[in-house]
Order: sequence, then structure tokens, then C-alpha cells
Amino acid sequence: MTGKYASDPEWASIEPIPLNDGSDSGALPLATIAYTDDYIEATSYLRAVMAANEMSDRALKLTEDIISMNPAHYTVWIYRAKILFALKKDLKEEFEWLNRVSLKYLKNYQIWQHREVIVSCRDQFPTLPDRELDFLMEMFAQDSKNYHVWKYRHWLVRHFKLWDLPREIEDVEALLKADVRNNSAWNHRFVLRFGPRGDDEPDAGMPNGGAMGADKGRLAVADEDVIDAELQYAQAKILLAPENRSPWSYARGVLRAAGRPLSEWKDFASKFVTEKKKHDAEDGEDEIEVEVKSSHAVEWLADVLAEQVSGSETDKSEAVKMLTLLKEKYDPIRKNYWDYRIKMLDSFAVPYGVSASA
Amino acid sequence: MADFQAERHVKYFLRCLKTFLPSVYTPNDSNRMLLAYLCVSGLDLLGVLESKTTLEERKGYINWVYHCQLPSGGFRAFTGTDFGVENRTADNAGWDPANVPATFFALVLLLILGDDLARVKRTECLRWLPRVQRQDGSFGEVLGPQGEIGGGRDLRFCCFAAGTRYILRGTRGDIDTDIPDINVDRLASFIQACQTYDGGLSDTPLGEAHSGLTYCGIGALTFLYRTHSDQSHPIPKLLSPGTPEFESLVRWLVSRQTSELGEEESDDDEEEDEDENDETHALRLNIQGLTLDDKIFGLHALEPCRSIQWAGFNGRCNKLADTCYSFWNMATLLMLDRLALVDVELNRRYLLEKTQHIVGGFGKGVGETPDPLHSYFGMVSLAFQGEAGLQNTDPALCISSRAVERLQSLEWW
Repeated sequence: MTGKYASDPEWASIEPIPLNDGSDSGALPLATIAYTDDYIEATSYLRAVMAANEMSDRALKLTEDIISMNPAHYTVWIYRAKILFALKKDLKEEFEWLNRVSLKYLKNYQIWQHREVIVSCRDQFPTLPDRELDFLMEMFAQDSKNYHVWKYRHWLVRHFKLWDLPREIEDVEALLKADVRNNSAWNHRFVLRFGPRGDDEPDAGMPNGGAMGADKGRLAVADEDVIDAELQYAQAKILLAPENRSPWSYARGVLRAAGRPLSEWKDFASKFVTEKKKHDAEDGEDEIEVEVKSSHAVEWLADVLAEQVSGSETDKSEAVKMLTLLKEKYDPIRKNYWDYRIKMLDSFAVPYGVSASA
Repeated sequence: MADFQAERHVKYFLRCLKTFLPSVYTPNDSNRMLLAYLCVSGLDLLGVLESKTTLEERKGYINWVYHCQLPSGGFRAFTGTDFGVENRTADNAGWDPANVPATFFALVLLLILGDDLARVKRTECLRWLPRVQRQDGSFGEVLGPQGEIGGGRDLRFCCFAAGTRYILRGTRGDIDTDIPDINVDRLASFIQACQTYDGGLSDTPLGEAHSGLTYCGIGALTFLYRTHSDQSHPIPKLLSPGTPEFESLVRWLVSRQTSELGEEESDDDEEEDEDENDETHALRLNIQGLTLDDKIFGLHALEPCRSIQWAGFNGRCNKLADTCYSFWNMATLLMLDRLALVDVELNRRYLLEKTQHIVGGFGKGVGETPDPLHSYFGMVSLAFQGEAGLQNTDPALCISSRAVERLQSLEWW
């Protein structure tokens, strides 16, 4: 080989281990890639230092080179972390490098896993690293719904107990101001407001996430002021874009966390679904026409009515009316689903909120 | 209406199988077992694996998969970590570990290729699985140098661990009792804790609901309870119709079908419209003293939907359609026996007219170049709805029913 490692005296002591794709043992390699010479050489040296379990500066530099060509290499990241700890490296420098790599490979998953491993070192990062939240906002400027970055941010909130740090909710509000349809930001808001906080609590997505049935998603103790404020916040955002599903879902989650029924919003949802008299010029008769300002409000009403179906026939016919509006006019893509919901009215009441006795 | 271009897809998958993937695939080097599975299974779905490859070639492919098997059980995801048996020691084995997703892909790939799994280190692999399971029930990706569990907490690993166990444990109950099993109940609880407030599943508790991960969670549960006969593990609510868990999951899944395709021509107009709307609303809302009623009164009434011609699926709320999400959502609905609730015809038109590529294969979105993952999952989605020219496909194992039959013919099944 005549590549940069073969010609570098620093690497003279290493005998590279070439790729063994099995061709010598009767294998016909699958998913072969036209590797560049640089990648072939660098990975040969990586195998050699890994086989020797070498913890050195040159190996650390080599991992950088590999990551620049293949950031999804799953053992090179573990190896890199091990070297950093073995050589007691300053992890702040690692951070600077990571930021550059993260901005280059936006879709990569291992980078964020590695960041978590690094920031987990309590002795070097006893508190939230400086500018960490600024960097995450820089990432969100590239893609405000980046799943890996949000996952990391959730971890950060739990690790450093940031639920009530003003900056957290400010960032969420800024992102929702920029795009009220950003469901990732809505989800993070839910984590900040209702995510489990105790060290002994299971790491659950909803309050009481490990529980089943009616208790699932329900807070042990609900702060009614927080609940009311969040419901108002969701309403204000719904007015900006009534067809945006995110705040409607958020409100369901909030009510569920509080153990309050969906019917609490029946009045609010009804305001989006109004009946109007319309004069038909042809037959001269007045007709009742339903005017809809949000299909999600119609769905909400259908759910409330469905929960009450065991009660009265009027509720049932009203529920059918709502579901038919969705099926025929406002959400025909899901016509089969709305039919399924109509059929279910006859079989059993499905608890779409928390009020039912599941 | 465009047709399913079976011949072009055959050509596309053959090219992926038999020629080098371009060097831009280097960042996928560590996913070679997955890529191999997609290409080989793609040809199997098209019903041409045996006519377009020779017996010798298939033997060679099988040998390559076994070449990726570790002496201690399980498979590596690519040959790049292999520094040779002669160099392997207890101290460095962690740098060349068995990989959970790759082990599952290797096993199904062997089945597709007609292998009988006789060379699989079955007991070693089954012993390895519980070691990759964490206290909270979730699975990691690999065992690191000190035997520590590496890789994030992620439903993907849960799914492929459960799938590997499903394939290797079988139904005969011939496993030695001294081989420890994974903790099924803890895994099931972890998965159920990943259900979010809007009904879907996220990668871990606290995350945002995501179709790919929802598939993984329901896939894992399907593997755990499919062959299940003893009553010691009750069927999870997520799999039980009529429970809030099940019905809110179904609602979330059907809500993923969307006519928002992100097409270039219409995209800009729409966004402008939306911005304008948001702005006008905002202005209106800023007027002091308006009551909630006034504000709602001022909103525009919705026009009933005009006829929709194409509708694919997105993977998260308020995202655009993407070919692979037709698979993730539909496969999950099929496992829940609720596929009939979506509009398969609109999905078919989306795939055939919007993302099917002229050279064969499918792209991720409208007009995008094909890649093996989107090509394969686009086809599987069509197979679920009975597209002529495609084999029936099992939604959990994600292989043809022919390959499933091979699994069921194994001696431990």
C-alpha cells in the first residue's frame, strides 16, 4: 500500500489487516461497495489497532478519519470513547470536534449517542455544558424536527434536571412560533410539563407510562394551574391553524395527564362546528348546513359523543353525524376508518379519553 | 394509471446485487447485511431469485452470510470489523461484536436463499441474546469490550432481538432448559411505555411518536406473542382490540395517510398560503378585547375536500409522505389486523405514479432517485395490497411466504 498511513513513519510499526470479505473461503460477497483507496487503507489500520487494543493518540486520530468517511461505523465510536477515557482527554475539545461533525452529518444517529456518552461524565460535566443549548438550536435551524437531536435533548433534560430551566420552554416557544406545526416541539413541551421527574420513576414517555388502562398517562398529582395554562396555550395555537393536528393531540394528552374528560372541551370544539340555515333557490326550502372550521374539532366531538353512547340514542345519532361529516366531506382519505368508528358505536364504547372505566 | 413496472424493478435489484454500489454508499458500509437482505429479498418478492441467480451464486451468498457469523454466536453487520480468528482474543473481541439487527437480517437472508440454518450457532446465539437486554427490558445493539451493552435504548434493537429469538427458539420447545431466555414481560412493558400521548410509539419513553419505531415495537410484540401458548404472559393491551392503547394506536396509524406529498411545483404556493393564513390569523388575534367566540367566528370555514388522487403516508405528525412509511404504517396495521382502514388505492397510485422510478426501484419522495431501502419497502407495501407480480409477504418477518414456509420446515419448528 502507498497511502497516507503506509508512508507515515508514525504508523510504521503497524501491520495493517486487509479486509477479508470471505472470497477465499468460497463466499460471494453481498452488497459490495466501491470503496475509495483512502477508506480501504484507513480501515485496514483500524482493524490492526483494534486487534492490538491500542489506546493511543494516533488511534484517536485514525477514528476521526474513519468517522469522516463512515460516521455510522458502530464500533469505531465505542472505540473512540474508550480511548478518550483511557488517555484522560479533555472532553471539551471532543465537544468542539463533535459540533463540527454533527453539522456535517445531520442524519447520523451514532454522533448523538456518543455525545450522550461524553456528557455523562460527571467529573468533566457536573453541570450543563456552556453553549450546549445554543448548539442544539443551531442544529434545529438546519432541521427543526431532527429526531436524534430531540432524543438527545430529552436525555439532557433528565440528566441535568432542566424541566424548569426557563431556556427550555423559551426554545420550545421560539420553535413553535416559527412553525406551529412542529410536532417535535409540541412533544418536547409535553416532556417539560408532564414528563416524570423522579430518579426512582420509570423512564416513561407519558406520566405513569408503565401503567395500563385508565391510569396510563395519568399524573399521580396534577397541578391544576399548569393544566389550565397548557389547555389555554393549546387553544391559542389552534386558532392560528385550526387544521394543525399537533395542539389537538397535545390537549388530549394534557387532559389525560390531569385525569379530566375530553368532554371538558366539548364547548370549545362545538364552536368550530356550527349549523347554518341555507336557502335553496330551486325548491324554495330552507336547509340546515353544517359549517366546519376544523376537522379535528369534528373528531373531538365524535369522541366525546362516542364515550357517552351508552347513555342515549340522541348522542349516538349525533356521533354518527360527526363521523359521517369526516367520512364524506372533511377527511375522506380515512373513510374506511370513520366507517369503522361508526360500526364500533354499536358494539362498545371505546374510551378515547380517560373518563371511561377501561 | 401507471402500472407496476416489474421488469424494471428486477433490473434495478439485479444491478444492486451483482455490481458494486457506488462509493457514496460508504457511510452505509456498516449496514451491508441490511443492504444484502433488501437486494436479495427484493428479487425474491418479484419471484425471480431462483431464475436470475444460479445455485452456485446463492451458495456463495450463503457462505458470505456465514462468513459474518461470530464464533461466539450472532452475526456482524459487515466484514469491516473482522480482524481474523487468529487475532481474536478475549480483550479485543468487543471490537468485532455480534450485532443485534444484523443477526436478524442474516437469519432471514439465509432463509430467503434456501438455507436450512444448519451452520447457525443456535445455542450460542440464544445465550447471547439475554446478555444484550437491559434491566429496563430494552435491548442494546452490541456487547462492548467489557461485555457492557452498547448502542442507545431503541425499539429497533428490541424488534430484532425478539425476531431472532422467534426464529431460533421455534415452536418445538427443544431448547435446553439451562439456556436462559430473555425477560419477555420486561421487554413488553418497555415497549408499552414507549406509547406517547398521541397513540403512536417513540424510540424510547419520552420521544415523539414515529412510524418506523411504532413498527418495531408492534413487530417485537408480534414476535413475542405469535407462537405464544402458555398463559403466564398475558397479551399486552397494545395488541388487544377495544382497549384505549390499541384504539389510539390505530387512530394514530391511520392518521399518517396524507396527500401532502411535498411536490415541488405546488409546495411553494401552499407554504405561502399557509404563511399568509397564519399571519392574517395572528393579526386578527392581536386585536385586543376579542373573545374566544369572536376569534373562532372570524376563522374561515373549511371547504369540503376535493377529490384526492394520491395519498402516501408520513412517519410523524405534520411531515410529508415518504415511500418507506407506506410500509412502516401498513405493515403495523396488518399486524393489528386493521389494514382495511386505510385507502390502499390512493397509496397504490402514490407509489406507482409518484415515487416509482423510470429506471426501476422507488425513490424516497416524488421524483427522487431510487435506493434499495425505499425500493424494497415500496414493493412490500404494494405486496400487502395484492399487487400482481409480487409474492405474499409476512409483515413481521418482512419476507415472502415462501421464505416463511422454509422457516416453518426447520426441525425446531
